[in-house]
Amino acid sequence: MSSLYGALSIATGAMAAEQGAMDATSNNVANANTPGYSRQRPVLVESDPIVLGSITYGQGVTLQRLESVRDPILQLRIDQETQQQGQLNTYVSALQQAQVQFTGSNSDIPSQISNFFSSLNQLSTDPTNISLRQGVLTAAGNLATVFNNTSASLTQQQTNTDLSVTQTVQQVNTLTGQIAALNTQISQLQGVGQDASAFEDQRDVLIGHLSGLIDVSSIKSDNSLTLTTSNGTPLVVGGQSFSLATQTNLSGHQDVYAQGVDITSKLTSGQLAGLIQVRDQTLPGLVANLDTLASGLANALNTANAKGFDLYGNPGGNLFVPPPVSGQGYAATIAVQITDPSLIAASSDGSQGSNGNVAVLAAVQNANVAGGQTPSDYYASIVANVGNDVSNGSAELTASQLALTQLQDQLGSISGVSLNEEAVHMVQYQSAYDAAAKVVTTINEMLTTVINMGTLTG
Amino acid sequence: MSSIRVNPFPMPDLLAALDQLQQQTANTTLELATGSSINKPSDNPAGAAEVIRLNAESSQADSFQSSIGSINGQFSTADSTFSSVVTVLQRAISLGVEAANGTLSDADRAAVATELTGIQSQLLSLANTSYQGQYIFAGTATTQPFVVDPTQPSGVRYAGNTGINHVTIGAGYQLQVNVPGSQIFNGPGADMFLAINDMITAVQSNTGIGATVTEVGSALTYITGQRVFYGNALNQTQSQQTYLNTQSLSLSQQLNTVAGADFAALASQLVSNQTARTATLDAIGRIPQNSLFDFLK
Repeated sequence: MSSLYGALSIATGAMAAEQGAMDATSNNVANANTPGYSRQRPVLVESDPIVLGSITYGQGVTLQRLESVRDPILQLRIDQETQQQGQLNTYVSALQQAQVQFTGSNSDIPSQISNFFSSLNQLSTDPTNISLRQGVLTAAGNLATVFNNTSASLTQQQTNTDLSVTQTVQQVNTLTGQIAALNTQISQLQGVGQDASAFEDQRDVLIGHLSGLIDVSSIKSDNSLTLTTSNGTPLVVGGQSFSLATQTNLSGHQDVYAQGVDITSKLTSGQLAGLIQVRDQTLPGLVANLDTLASGLANALNTANAKGFDLYGNPGGNLFVPPPVSGQGYAATIAVQITDPSLIAASSDGSQGSNGNVAVLAAVQNANVAGGQTPSDYYASIVANVGNDVSNGSAELTASQLALTQLQDQLGSISGVSLNEEAVHMVQYQSAYDAAAKVVTTINEMLTTVINMGTLTG
Repeated sequence: MSSIRVNPFPMPDLLAALDQLQQQTANTTLELATGSSINKPSDNPAGAAEVIRLNAESSQADSFQSSIGSINGQFSTADSTFSSVVTVLQRAISLGVEAANGTLSDADRAAVATELTGIQSQLLSLANTSYQGQYIFAGTATTQPFVVDPTQPSGVRYAGNTGINHVTIGAGYQLQVNVPGSQIFNGPGADMFLAINDMITAVQSNTGIGATVTEVGSALTYITGQRVFYGNALNQTQSQQTYLNTQSLSLSQQLNTVAGADFAALASQLVSNQTARTATLDAIGRIPQNSLFDFLK
């Protein structure tokens, strides 16, 4: 049998449920602009009914919980795209910095190569002229200097990139520590059946940051979360984080270690992978190209100079300090060997006025001395490669940014707070609350009626 | 709720679009300012490489021009030296003809011999002409090429060598720039110094003057033949200069095709960028700042 008191308790229960639902709305509106916030929605369920005889009496509504609206799969895709973007962003911005060295100017490598060979052409018109000979030495010095400077700039950039590797590893460690701490809080709350969505939102934000830095895979179980790099190295297991370490390698750069294992070459995306790619491949590749060009030129010119005779009638010696056989590191060190302009071997027969060997020296300009190409063609191909890398990388970056924006848009359409929607909910909850309050008032009147009945008969 | 939710925050998309427009405007402005469509390799990688090759070719052409300028000075000096030698030898011939006449007194012939001795020194000096400190008829030697040597029948010894220099004045174009003095002045059967020496002896002894006039005439003819080399060389450098000028022009046209900024296109690009930017800003400004909350009483 139902009673007025039973009805009263259903109505007050409804008021409590609507009030709880209003809490969700209120929290959503408050966090409308909070990054990473996922909107909450109240989960209202019908209370278990009571069956008395042939009649089933409903027992009103219960606010079971407040649920955050998430899409874990979408979140995962965003994290992956963020890793891709982190890597591309680092790679492209480093290349853009490097390509400045290969942007044309009046004093760049090809200009100095041209100047050097022009000075030789001038010398051929008057091979005994000391000021023309000095002109050749000066041009050779300028050529060596521009190689030194360009190589030094690229090496400096490599050193800076190495510093960024160390800093990024520190950031990764900070983030994994924070995520592990959140994991502990989340599992504690969930263990006692409480809502941990605020912490989960924070953790999603941190995982997003971490994804920008390193290729991270996440495995979620009931109460815990495991983060590993894509090759399986654990970063966070539940409440425990595993720090990455750096160690100086043979080339003086920092390698990345996870629990004693070198994972430098195994990192595939994120800022850290981008930095390592730039530091270990892109920049050394460019420096090696310059080494090939500088050593090719120096070897060919030394050989050519040795074929002739200097102004003293002696066979020509080295014009440039000879490069190592491998050519490695030569662009950084190339220097003119001689300071006496008379030592330029212009003569082909030992007579002072002969210019026959100048043509041999000048022919190096059009000889295939570097990578099977002429000096200027080889340099042009370096520039074309740098340009292509920047241009392709930028295109990939733009595509990745577009994909990320779309994914975030999609996530926003699922988890973002819409004020209009919240206003509608507020109106709904308010009117339901009002109605329940009206029911309470009515039941109160009914009870008054019952009580007054007693007064009349008594 | 069955309707599709839309992202309540369209701002990031619009901001990205705005960034991109700003980047485009910056690029366009840079191209306009520099007049070049390639301001860094990534603007046009193949074009940037082409620019380097074209610049190298262009500076090589400039270098050939400047070499031609230098050797032309040497050629002109040589040519005017030949001119003087010819004049002097012609004077020697007329003196010889005069002396062979037989009507001259001994004193007159002595005077002729003296003048011929002067001519001999003049010729020696001409054969030792230098240009910017370098003897032009010494072959590739740097010493004075013709020196007085009484032990020689001609009284003059060639101290230079037979070396020949070439100067590159075009891609694979090597121009010979000198003829050794021995080849010019000591021609077989046409030795200028021997001919003059013989003439002086003949005038002094008044015997066989006519034969020495013929001898000097042969030397003159031979030297005139040698002079053709320098005339030809000057012609060659002139036509090469014309060719190099055309080449430089063509290279700069190619450079312009590869890397020149298209001002008309850039100007219209700038305008359309500005329009798009204004429209995007307008769109951002029009994003409703209100919501249903504002209408609830």
